[in-house]
Amino acid sequence: MIEKYGTFFAGIALFVFLLIFADNFASVANLLNILKQASFLSILAIGFTFALITSELDLSFANICSLSGVIVGMMIFNGLPWPLAVVAGIGLGTLAGVLNGFLVTVLKVPSLIATLGTSSVANGLAFMLTGGVAFVGRWDPNFLFLARGKLGPVPLIVIVLVVVVGIALVFSTQTRAGVHLQATGENEEAARRAGINTRRNKVIGLALSGAAAGFTAVLLVANLSSAAPQMGGDFMLLGIAATLLGMTMFTPAKPNILGTVVGALIIVMLGNGLILLGAQYYVQDIMLGIIIIASVAVSASTLKQAAFSL
Amino acid sequence: MSSKIVMKNIFKNYGAVQALRGVSIDIKEGDVHAICGDNGAGKSTLIKILSGVETPESGELWVSNSARKFTSPTDALTSGIATIHQDLAVAPRMTIAQNIFMGAELTKKVLGVTLLDKPAMRRDALGYMSQLNKSITDMDTKVEALSGGQSQAVAICRALRWNADIVILDEPTAALGVRETEQVLELIRALKHAGKTVILISHAMKDVVAVADRVSILRRGENQIDLDAANLTADALSHYILSGDRDSRAA
Repeated sequence: MIEKYGTFFAGIALFVFLLIFADNFASVANLLNILKQASFLSILAIGFTFALITSELDLSFANICSLSGVIVGMMIFNGLPWPLAVVAGIGLGTLAGVLNGFLVTVLKVPSLIATLGTSSVANGLAFMLTGGVAFVGRWDPNFLFLARGKLGPVPLIVIVLVVVVGIALVFSTQTRAGVHLQATGENEEAARRAGINTRRNKVIGLALSGAAAGFTAVLLVANLSSAAPQMGGDFMLLGIAATLLGMTMFTPAKPNILGTVVGALIIVMLGNGLILLGAQYYVQDIMLGIIIIASVAVSASTLKQAAFSL
Repeated sequence: MSSKIVMKNIFKNYGAVQALRGVSIDIKEGDVHAICGDNGAGKSTLIKILSGVETPESGELWVSNSARKFTSPTDALTSGIATIHQDLAVAPRMTIAQNIFMGAELTKKVLGVTLLDKPAMRRDALGYMSQLNKSITDMDTKVEALSGGQSQAVAICRALRWNADIVILDEPTAALGVRETEQVLELIRALKHAGKTVILISHAMKDVVAVADRVSILRRGENQIDLDAANLTADALSHYILSGDRDSRAA
C-alpha cells in the first residue's frame, strides 16, 4: 500500500499544504496554470517513459523538442501552412528518435552515450537554424488555439493530455505491442527467445520518446507564439524527474504512464509552490536533484540496469 | 513403446574439434531419457542440434517417425521440441501469466481494437500450471517472488504453451538447493505423467537415477553406453561415466 501509493499520498499532502500556506496558490488562475504546465511536461515525459520501459535512456528529448520547435517556428514564420509545420515538427522528433534507436540497436552505442550525442547535435542545429534568436510572430489563431484554447472552462491542452494519457495507458498495458516493449526492457534475452523482435521494440521506445518531444514542441510554440533554440532545455531534468518519481508509484520500480503524469503534477506544483512561498529560484534545482536521486534509490529500478549496461 | 526421437550417426565439428563422432540415440515416447557424460563429452552439442541451434555435418534425425533437418530453433519448436535452458529466460518482474504467454499473448477484439485477453491468459496459464504444480494458483504473482523450482515450472509451462510434446531440460537442478531440486524432480515426473517425452541433461547422478527411465552416456563425442535406469544407483552411474567402461556392470 505505502509502496504503491506512498508518493501519490505525499503529493496530495503537498497539495493541501500549499493550499493552506502558499498565498495565491489556491486561485483558479494559478491552479489552471499548474495544470497547463504539467500537461506540457507530462506529454514530454510520457515519451521518455516509453524509452525507459524498453530499458533505454533518452537524454536527447529536451533538445530534440527545441529543434522540432525551431523547425515549426521557422516554417510558420516563413509563411508555410501551420498544419504542415505541425506534421513536420512531430515527424522530425520521431525521426530523431528512430536515429537514436538505430545508434543503439545497430551501432550498439549505449543509449546513455548515443542520446547524449544526438542531444548535442540537436542543440547545435537549433542554434544554427535560428542564429541564436527566437522566431516570433503573430501567428494563425487556429495554431495558437492548440495550446491556448479552452473548451468551456477547460484548457484544450488538458483535454489533449487526457487523450494522450488514455492512448498511452491502453497501448502500454493492454496491447501485445505494449507488453512486448515491457518484456524487451525486463529481460531482453528472454523476450528474444520468445520470438519478440527486441531491436525493433527498442527503436519503437526511442521513437515514441522523439515523437512526444516533437508533439510537445508544437504545443510549446503555440503557447508562446515564439520558437527559441533553448525552449526545451529546462524540460530535460523536469521530464526525467517526473518519470523517475512516477516509478515510485502504482507499479513500483517500473516506469509507468500514470506514475509519470502524477510525477509531473507533483513537480510542477512543487516548483510553483516554492516560488509562492518565497523560495529563491535555485531551490527548485536542488529539489529536482534530490527527487531524481531519491526516486532511483527507492526503486530498484530499470534505470540502474540501463545505466550500468555500459 | 515407439521411438519418439531417433538420432543416427550424428557428426558435428567445430573447426578441427570433433564434438560428436557418430552418436546414435533412440529415445522412446513418454520416457524420461537422461544424457550424461563428463565435460566435453558432447552433451551440449547434442542438445544444440536437437533444439535447432546447430546443424550437424552428417547423420539423421527422426522425430515421430519423420526425418527432420532443423536449421533454426523455430524448426525444433514447430516439431514439438522445446528446450529449457539453465538460465530459464524468465522476466522476474513480470507475472507468471505474462511470462508463460510472452511473445504469444492471447488477444480479443474490443470495439474493433485488438487488446490483450488477460482473463483468458490467466485461465490458460493456470491450466498449464496445474499439470505441474497445484500449489501455484495466482497467475498474477511476479516470478521474482517464486522459488527456483517454481520458476522452472513457469519456464516449463511456456514450453507446454508451444504444444511441445518433447521437453529438453538442460541442467535443471544445477543451481538449486535440496528442496528445490526435489520440486524440479516432481516437475519432471509430472511431465512424464502428462505424456511428454523428457530429455534430461544433468551432472547430478542422484537426480538422474531418481527420475530417468533410460540413460545414455556420452564420452568424447561417442556413445559409450545405454542403460536401463530401473535398478541403477548413482554410484554405479558415476562409475560408468568415469571409467568409460563399456562392458563391466560393476558397482
